[in-house]
Amino acid sequence: MPLREPRAPAGGAEPSDSSSARPGSASSAPGAAAIVSVAGAVPPGALGVEAGGEHLLLLPERVAFWPRTRTLLVADAHLGKAAAFRCGGIPVPSGTTDVNLERLTQLVFACDATRIVFLGDLVHSKAARQAVGTSFAAWRQRHAGVDIVLVRGNHDARAGDIDAAWNVRVVSDPLIEDGLALCHAPRPVAGAFALAGHLHPSAMLTGRGRDRLRVPCFWFAATQAVLPAFGAFTGTADIAAATGDRVFVVAGSRVVALEASSEVER
Amino acid sequence: MSDAQPDRREQARVVAAARRNLKRQLARGAIVRAMGTGTAGATADASGTHTGANASGVDRASDTGGAAARLPPPPPTTIDIVAAQNHGNGLERVERWFAASGRTPFAFQRAAWRHHAEGRSGLIHAATGTGKTLAAWLGPVIEAIDERTGSGSESTQWTSTKRARRLRVLWITPMRALAADTLASLAAPLAELGLGWRIGLRTGDTPGADRIRQDRDALDAMVTTPESLALLLSRPGQRDLFGELVAVVVDEWHELLGTKRGVQVELALARLKRLAPRLRIWGVSATLGNLDEAERVLLAGRPGVVVAGEEPKTLVIDSLLPHDVMKSPWAGHLGTRAAAQVAAEIEHSGTTLVFTNTRSQAELWYQALLAARPDWAGILGLHHASLSIESRRFVENGLRTGAMKAVVCTSSLDLGVDFAPVDRVIQIGSPKGVARLLQRAGRSGHRPGLPSRISCVPTHALESIEAAAARAAVDDGAIESRRPLVKPIDVLVQHAITIACGEGFAREVLLAEVRDTHAFATLTDAEWDWVIAFAGGGGVLDAYPEYRRIVHGDDGIHRVVEAKLARRHRVQIGTIVSDASVEIRYLRGDRLGSVEENFIARLKPGDAFVIGGKAVSFVRMQEMTALVRRATPRTAVTPRWLGGKMSLSNELARHIQYELQSAAHGHAEARETKALSPLLSLQARHSRVPNADELLAELHATREGRHLCVFPFGGRHVNAALAALVAWRLARTTALTFSMAFNDYGFELLSPVDFALDAAALRAALDPAHAADDIAASVNAAELSRRHFREIARVAGLVFQGYPGEGRSARQLQATSGLFFDVYAEHDPGNPLLEQSRREVLERELELTRTLATLEALRMRTLIVNTPERMTPLALPLVAEQMRNKLSTEQVADRVARMQVAMQKPERRLRAAA
Repeated sequence: MPLREPRAPAGGAEPSDSSSARPGSASSAPGAAAIVSVAGAVPPGALGVEAGGEHLLLLPERVAFWPRTRTLLVADAHLGKAAAFRCGGIPVPSGTTDVNLERLTQLVFACDATRIVFLGDLVHSKAARQAVGTSFAAWRQRHAGVDIVLVRGNHDARAGDIDAAWNVRVVSDPLIEDGLALCHAPRPVAGAFALAGHLHPSAMLTGRGRDRLRVPCFWFAATQAVLPAFGAFTGTADIAAATGDRVFVVAGSRVVALEASSEVER
Repeated sequence: MSDAQPDRREQARVVAAARRNLKRQLARGAIVRAMGTGTAGATADASGTHTGANASGVDRASDTGGAAARLPPPPPTTIDIVAAQNHGNGLERVERWFAASGRTPFAFQRAAWRHHAEGRSGLIHAATGTGKTLAAWLGPVIEAIDERTGSGSESTQWTSTKRARRLRVLWITPMRALAADTLASLAAPLAELGLGWRIGLRTGDTPGADRIRQDRDALDAMVTTPESLALLLSRPGQRDLFGELVAVVVDEWHELLGTKRGVQVELALARLKRLAPRLRIWGVSATLGNLDEAERVLLAGRPGVVVAGEEPKTLVIDSLLPHDVMKSPWAGHLGTRAAAQVAAEIEHSGTTLVFTNTRSQAELWYQALLAARPDWAGILGLHHASLSIESRRFVENGLRTGAMKAVVCTSSLDLGVDFAPVDRVIQIGSPKGVARLLQRAGRSGHRPGLPSRISCVPTHALESIEAAAARAAVDDGAIESRRPLVKPIDVLVQHAITIACGEGFAREVLLAEVRDTHAFATLTDAEWDWVIAFAGGGGVLDAYPEYRRIVHGDDGIHRVVEAKLARRHRVQIGTIVSDASVEIRYLRGDRLGSVEENFIARLKPGDAFVIGGKAVSFVRMQEMTALVRRATPRTAVTPRWLGGKMSLSNELARHIQYELQSAAHGHAEARETKALSPLLSLQARHSRVPNADELLAELHATREGRHLCVFPFGGRHVNAALAALVAWRLARTTALTFSMAFNDYGFELLSPVDFALDAAALRAALDPAHAADDIAASVNAAELSRRHFREIARVAGLVFQGYPGEGRSARQLQATSGLFFDVYAEHDPGNPLLEQSRREVLERELELTRTLATLEALRMRTLIVNTPERMTPLALPLVAEQMRNKLSTEQVADRVARMQVAMQKPERRLRAAA
């Protein structure tokens, strides 16, 4: 099965540079991301996996939680995207950023997280950064005890430096911690398992009775993985999974492991 | 292009080619003399001839295999008529011009000219090729001659000066592809009539340099499309441009009526009426079931006349039936299996048009016919709206000169322009409607005393009955109506921005103008204020802080002041009809045509596809152009262009059921119906051939799941609505997931798990009580309005195509229509565009009124639920149908548990079907 790049994400995220867009060379390495039971409190609907020697929980809220370090991993929040549209003369109603921040609040409490690492594209653009400045700063104050790190993504780079009041530590891609490399665009990182975002991955599912369904997904290959986009007003791009990849789809309120099948449903 | 030498040579060639054309035409004794000879007696404006475009054109000729024809240079976009000496008033000159070719004007043509002269507007309807164009065109021409000669009769030769010239006639045609032909037909009589006009084309195909020339030196008459007209409305100086208009002619009004482009035209007309005090509006239409309504919509309440043309020629509808119905496919839309048979028919006929219903079907048939007759390379043409103007012109020209043996085409050739009648018309698949069939048939047999003839080729066995039904419907005079649209808010949003990009508008003034259309006659003040606000003019929208596109100036005028926003809007106006399209070019530069962006997005470099009958492989994207190189046809797939499937009209659907019933009772008369008898006996043996007073349902199981097929014969749209209704009612009590298919005969519900159903339950699911509410609920459940929102988002300017120069910042403002739908539904649920989407789905995709009437009628029918052992001939086309809707009341997780991640194989399905 030849591999293909996913389509450009429809939601305004950049399509990747071609060579970096696919996680790992899947064919050689054995089974990516074994499903494990993770010690401690597991939020409802979550699925535990093992990657780079670490246990991760994949949550239906389209984020991953790293229990050992009590870290939420959040890719592609694209805060302020709707506001950026409005400033650009395209009418998109307000409210999506509030929803995004409220979801983050609930995740922090549900997981008892002490840290959030954004895997790039925290803000959508310069106009977006300016538009959400006040509300993010206010939200940040309510969660002053949480350490927040941003691995700079392509949108962040163009959006310009974020406000000091946000109290966010910005680092360059990749941030290597233990066996994990936290990145924005997917790429292999020697000696670590790379976790990235950027692609806004979704999977097209087919089933008996000619059922078809497109759902956001976590896409795991042998040495790297891509998280779904967290933001409320972001598009998705279908993945082109290779044999041996593991795909964990967000099925409503649960994360479910699926096999990539070569049998095309007619 | 600034090089004068080649230009002069080009001019000489244009004139020579035109003369040759004219001679040939006259030699053939063509009835409509105007046709295609427009440049006779005219000098082509130098701006219309491009050495560059021409070079690629010549290359194409060789490319298409053409020892047959050398491609003449592109038609000019501007023609300066060099008037011949003439005398007398306008009408006298016209009568003499007719007499010179041994003809006299038809009574309806004279009537139209008189009405125009007396200041009236109206609608002219006549069959294709009977002189509609001259009926509409010569009215203003006569008027212009009379004004210039002071309606005296002294001999004058006019060459208008630049200073005096103002646009007098605007000719709106729905098909860009045909505008050049229209221009030629309009130009044809002018020189001999002694009217030295400058007339020109203004469409998406008009090169920028030519537009600039046209702006500098005004035209007397302009041929344009609704989109290009909207572009003109987005400019300042409207009164200078349009103030002297005496006539607007809307050609092919039947094609525009009932579409958003038609509403776009209504809005433009309202504006022109206000700008040009002397304006008269003329519509030209093929036969319609509701001509009076068509006239009222066009004139928006102005008094007007309906001018009826000559009686249509007699029509013969026959079929090319498969030799053995049992061996022909029972399902499918392509029918290329019959290619050899069709090729044999073409062999024995003169010039033949082969009509298909979709562009991809045209591509496939072109390949299939070439495979059957490789020796026809170069004389077998392909014509559809997504091909480049060069290749379309090559084919049109071949039709005119007789170099083409046959042309495979879509509706791109059943409209309007009076090109030479052909000897034979073949229709692949069902024509889906009587009016369309008449129009296509009208392309043949213009010889006196000979009828028009159209031969239908069924794409699957059962379809052959549709020719018989069409024949019966024609005998009954049952011709479809086109219902006008009411209040499409998306079009109004676009129009408000368009006007704000140019002169700007005052709230009250534009409101009065907008209400002077049929579509928005009942627009309320509140609705108008919302439109202004949503278009970006501030006001009522709390949910949209810092959103401003239109500035409300101190002078009370709303304007788009930011140049970037105005530019983006202008680029986007053209996409009202279709999805964003990507131009296809060879690496060395020749244009091939265009395909939808979605199709290209799924290709990776090296993937092969077919366009214009040529196999090419995708190399890379360069801005909005896809670069390709030649490929071997073996692996090439055929792109699908959206555009949807036509629903069988009520009229045809009814007649099909009569045909079936007569067959069931063994007294079929039509040859097509008789030929189907082995198939129908098989249907009877395994299940039943339903009578007109019966409703047949069949349940059977396959490895895909449980299939319920029901045959109400409601036409595609009604059957889609019934499918959604039944699926919704069955899934309301038990969590179920259905895949729904529908065609003109019936619908299928497919469930991956077994579901309980008996006659009583099905009867209850078809109960007319609360049906309207339940259908509305099913529209939400099946996400139909979300899907339909694609069109609305495009028209309202929410999604737009990127264009060179704006780069990244523009891409950051792109989102899919589905995302827009979701974000409105969640954060601005009162948005009228959501309601519009729901309404359009109910009215247009599901035909709610017709559906409710059908439900009442079904109550009277005897319900028969059969459980055939195997799939029946009636069920098979449904089960094989690929275009499906979904409706699910299951938890996503339960659904996902049955599913796998699909490996992507783009267009695999289409290939399998081919």
